[in-house]
Amino acid sequence: MKIICLVKYVPNVEDIKYDYEKNILIRDNVKLILNPDDACAVAFALELKEHQPEHEIEVITMGPKSVKPFVEDLLRRNVDKASIISDKLFAGSDTYATSKILSHYLKDKEFDCILTGTNSLDGDTSHIPSQIGELLGLNQMSNITKIDLARFKKTKAVIEVENGENVLTYAMQLPAILSLRKESDYKLPYIEYENMSLDVSDRLDIISNQELGLAKEEIGLKGSLTKVVNTYNKNFEEKDKVVVENNEEGIDFVYSFLKKKGFV
Amino acid sequence: MKNTLIYIDQENIINSIELLEVARQIHADQEYQSFGLLINQQIENKYLGEFDSIINIKDQNIKSYDQLALTDVIEELQNEYQFESIIIPATHIGRMLAPRLAMRLHVGLVADVTEIKKDEKSLELIRPAFSGRIMAGIETNAKKPIMLTVRQNVFTHHIDQNKELKMINYQPNNYNKAEIDLLEKKQCELSYDIRESEILVSGGGGALKDFEQIKNLADKLNAEVSASRKIIDDGKASRNIQVGQSGKTVSPELYIALGISGAIEHVAGLKNIENIISVNINKNAPICSLSDIVVVGDAIEFVKKLANKLEKN
Repeated sequence: MKIICLVKYVPNVEDIKYDYEKNILIRDNVKLILNPDDACAVAFALELKEHQPEHEIEVITMGPKSVKPFVEDLLRRNVDKASIISDKLFAGSDTYATSKILSHYLKDKEFDCILTGTNSLDGDTSHIPSQIGELLGLNQMSNITKIDLARFKKTKAVIEVENGENVLTYAMQLPAILSLRKESDYKLPYIEYENMSLDVSDRLDIISNQELGLAKEEIGLKGSLTKVVNTYNKNFEEKDKVVVENNEEGIDFVYSFLKKKGFV
Repeated sequence: MKNTLIYIDQENIINSIELLEVARQIHADQEYQSFGLLINQQIENKYLGEFDSIINIKDQNIKSYDQLALTDVIEELQNEYQFESIIIPATHIGRMLAPRLAMRLHVGLVADVTEIKKDEKSLELIRPAFSGRIMAGIETNAKKPIMLTVRQNVFTHHIDQNKELKMINYQPNNYNKAEIDLLEKKQCELSYDIRESEILVSGGGGALKDFEQIKNLADKLNAEVSASRKIIDDGKASRNIQVGQSGKTVSPELYIALGISGAIEHVAGLKNIENIISVNINKNAPICSLSDIVVVGDAIEFVKKLANKLEKN
């Protein structure tokens, strides 16, 4: 089977600090990481290949060329092929334009299944997988916590999905887009020692808009249907708080508060 | 007269109806009609509150989890009713349906809207960005319908009068079915819903080292346990108990925040909470300004001490 993993490298939001005086995000020294949900998609594909080496895995990502070393590390983990879709013209694309760019690249590809994450740490809209599904005429499912390895076949996948209240098991016809969640717990393998500095350049393509040939009106800010016009720091109503220490006195104070309010 | 459509998701009927408030905030300056879309569901009329009309589709070939069929059906309705806005609850299904539909209709989509700012000239849909570290005001291009998704418990609709509900029985003409079957449905293991809890004892990064202790305190207070994103990301607890923008919005009577700094992402999930006690080593942590009592110190030590105190009394 030919499996495509669509992944995104995102700023590690844990590193982003907020300057409460200036009301700005401090994004200096923020590292890029493979989006956790997306890492599960690649990890599942690699697990599958581990069992059945005939599967072919291609990783596709859109972003700055600076993600190249990260993508190379995926190739050193047994991913067969990778493409970085990168062009300054794509900067500012919203989810609508991004889905169009990715679909344009995908539409001529042969594959049996596309694996993605469900949410990204930075945008967190979860739009891309279903929008690509629409553009390619494929079904799509989010919040997948398990793909049944034994029943993963060329034309059908059996998957488990968590919607917050229930665990749902579906049989889904392939090709389709399956979007995992990090709770699925598929873990990327380590790079084997002898592959640490393996030259993988012959398996990595960088695709610019010159190859894709999309019109400028369809991409970047021009091709986007939404735009950020303002940013705000959320302000909350402050209370008259009482500050106590974590000692007997403090605990007594908390206890009498709970008592007074009828919680104990 | 402008029309607005609200998709009523069977995963969360009440919350879908709350989206009438979103419609009101978007369209209040003009006369508008609200349509609710019900597919293969029975709901008592009293729950349908102030909808002007319900588009009622009964067709067992349309499965609630079939995005392809749902998209075709709503596209057909859009052609018929020319909705000015389509509002979809940000449920599991809604978050897949909305982007697909927006792409089909060639319109922009704003996910997880928490606030609406409207004046004569513009409509700004506000949502959290960068994991809730900042709020972004977003405008969509002029093309209609305006499309957005909204998470549960974010807007509250106040029913002041029941209108005469018009029930439109509708049979869609053309739709494609996806090849997908539901094989099994079982309940998640969690026995409680933090959105309904009266007291929540909630742990964050400062409680990471011994999250289990929190359960002990919760038991003594007849409370339930919830957590911040940090705990979930670390795999210490299930996402079902996550409070915050990327989790659930909660409104308990008492919220005890243990080692939670209170990033916007987290605080966005706290709504109308009368009493907040926070325990933090940093008394200037953002959550402290929302608290009635701030205990400065280690969260786990506090949990042990308070559990002890409760046991003795």
